[in-house]
Amino acid sequence: MNLQHSVMSNVLRPYLAAVRSTLTAALTLENFSSQVVERHNKPEVEAGTSKEVLLNPLTISRNENERVFIEPSINSIRLSIKIKQADEIERILCNKFTRFMMQRAESFIVLRRKPVPGYDISFLITNTHTETMLKHKIVDFIIQFMEEVDKEISEMKLSLNARARIVAESYLTAIQG
Amino acid sequence: MPEVFTLAQTPVTAHSFSADRSQLAVSLNSNDAQILTRQGLEWVPTVTLSEHDKLITSIDWAPNSNRIVTCSQDRNAYVWQEQPDLETGKLVWKPTLVLLRINRAATHVRWSPREDKFAVASGARAIAICSFDPENNWWVSKLLKKPIRSTVLSVDWHPNNVLLAAGSADMKARVFSAYIKEVDERPAPTAWGSKLPFNTVCGEYSSPAGGWVHTVGFSPSGDVLAFASHDSSISIVYPNGPVIHNIRMPSLPIVSLSWTSEDTIVAAGHDCRPFVFSGSEGGWQEAGTLDDTTSPRSAEPRSGFGPSNSVGRLRTSAFATFRDADSRGQSAIAGSASPTADTKLLTIHQNTITDVRPYEYSGSNVIKVSTSGVDGMLVIWDVNAVVALTGRLGGAHLM
Amino acid sequence: MDNSFRKIDIDIYDEDALRDDELYETDPRDPAEVLQDAKQRQGAVRGFLAKNDIPGALTVILENAPYGANVEEAKIITLQSLLTILNTTKATEITGVVKLLSQDTQDTLMKYIYKGMAMPGWGDISGSVLLGWHEKLTEVAGVGCIVRTMTDRRIV
Repeated sequence: MNLQHSVMSNVLRPYLAAVRSTLTAALTLENFSSQVVERHNKPEVEAGTSKEVLLNPLTISRNENERVFIEPSINSIRLSIKIKQADEIERILCNKFTRFMMQRAESFIVLRRKPVPGYDISFLITNTHTETMLKHKIVDFIIQFMEEVDKEISEMKLSLNARARIVAESYLTAIQG
Repeated sequence: MPEVFTLAQTPVTAHSFSADRSQLAVSLNSNDAQILTRQGLEWVPTVTLSEHDKLITSIDWAPNSNRIVTCSQDRNAYVWQEQPDLETGKLVWKPTLVLLRINRAATHVRWSPREDKFAVASGARAIAICSFDPENNWWVSKLLKKPIRSTVLSVDWHPNNVLLAAGSADMKARVFSAYIKEVDERPAPTAWGSKLPFNTVCGEYSSPAGGWVHTVGFSPSGDVLAFASHDSSISIVYPNGPVIHNIRMPSLPIVSLSWTSEDTIVAAGHDCRPFVFSGSEGGWQEAGTLDDTTSPRSAEPRSGFGPSNSVGRLRTSAFATFRDADSRGQSAIAGSASPTADTKLLTIHQNTITDVRPYEYSGSNVIKVSTSGVDGMLVIWDVNAVVALTGRLGGAHLM
Repeated sequence: MDNSFRKIDIDIYDEDALRDDELYETDPRDPAEVLQDAKQRQGAVRGFLAKNDIPGALTVILENAPYGANVEEAKIITLQSLLTILNTTKATEITGVVKLLSQDTQDTLMKYIYKGMAMPGWGDISGSVLLGWHEKLTEVAGVGCIVRTMTDRRIV
């Protein structure tokens, strides 16, 4: 398992490195009060009302099925992840996993309840997050999250297959017996 | 060696010292300003200035008149003055509200060199130039508006007390005339022009790759302008020509700068360490940094986020990391039980530097600067202790 | 956030608010001229590649690259030529090549790498090739180069 994981990591590495550097570049946020609404302070990436404080969104992709979308602005960014789903089982697991996370979004304050269209999960990170947490830790967290989700889904799939085998075996034994 | 102080567990949004450097006014990311007094190796809170009802964005302490000006996202500015209390006779800080006439957040404030005016940058696409009206005994303002198209992020005064530089989110740095006829004498001609009625635009310069202009500064003579923008670049403008030198940096954007002599600038921001730039009209270059990350105090090796062995569903290390990070980078504190290896930046500041200020002078040159950061730290740096940049990435460790 | 409830965009009446077309200076060149130019460069790139001069090929295709509106075809031709260059370069040579480029060219190359990554599955795009170039370019030009891809509205 460990060997398998490190092999996977080597394949993942350039992808995660690109996500890490792009996210580091995007997490250069400041406290910015709305120019549109008096005495308001809203994530500009969500409000979208002042064009000049939104930056160009960037995509990092390994292929069509594995990509990250980063939408930066002066006081907040949105980061969305499309998680690899090679087959039907992985699709179901990914769906279950992300839904589980979304429903508990309040305990992960940076998680957005609704992902950006075309992606499985979206994070909203604001200047408040980069002020109350160390910003390089947020980067570490996102990267670890991506590694873990990948691992988690393959492991859930393994255990699912193992259970299926056990069920099948006992079923067959019962029939043969 | 730089002097390092941890002022708070919250960001230091802005800081400004009293003339004798025995006191320090800070905004700790809140609606109140704090005055801290130096006691030995520590800064002890002594006075709280409470009047604003939203985040204080900027503070400036006038060295000669000993007045403090604060501005806030509540659209207001207050001038604070030490006055004897009517009952006790003790000196207390008394606020005066300034009529800014802006309807959006105030973002930055600076006293003019003669301390008879101050400029307040704002999200109302305007700059309020405030001066004292002795007849009515209050501060009145006049607005610089054209041709500003977005939030003004910073201002800096020319030594002649009339010209004002401003950096804005419309990706421009500008030089304006802030001449107030009731206050100012007619200024002598400068490199920026000679006829200077209020709101004359004496120069307008774009950031090279479209970044918001975070910080602006006139050189000590006032003949040169520097500005840094979000495209990770710093530009130095000689108005005749104009000759503009632009340095594209490999690191993250600068948000604050301070000239230390006619040919040197210290600047810092998202990369968490102060950079030094030097040059003349012939050309400018990055000279190095004041944060020697190779010195022993910061030599703790950072290790990556290697694969962890815990597999438990949703109780994996990523979530542990998140929980720790959630309570303000708790895992940065030694002894963290987190299964993942700890990461600490090699720089002294662990988060974005918010403000760079002159701290100590020798003649007309600055020999020490102070920086405050989102990490709650205040650091005083020797400007001459420049070390070459070894790694290109300070606040950005990439594997 | 769903903004569809805003039937009338009142912000367009705010004359001080910046519009999309004011965020960058438009290319003074005529679109037809830009397209002609892109086609010529495509030919020049083949010449450089025949001599195995990768930095030369990159410089010719990335200098004054088409940007902004109304030059889609020129942008696509440029992207195709660029992908040919990136795909034919040996992985071990990338760092050396990137170091020889001017800062301007490095910044434009970064823009194209992200453009390619935003179009997975299109043409000759290989995720692993682009990620390899991204990593080497970031090592040489720093995260500042990525920040500039975000801030520069002269989109390629």
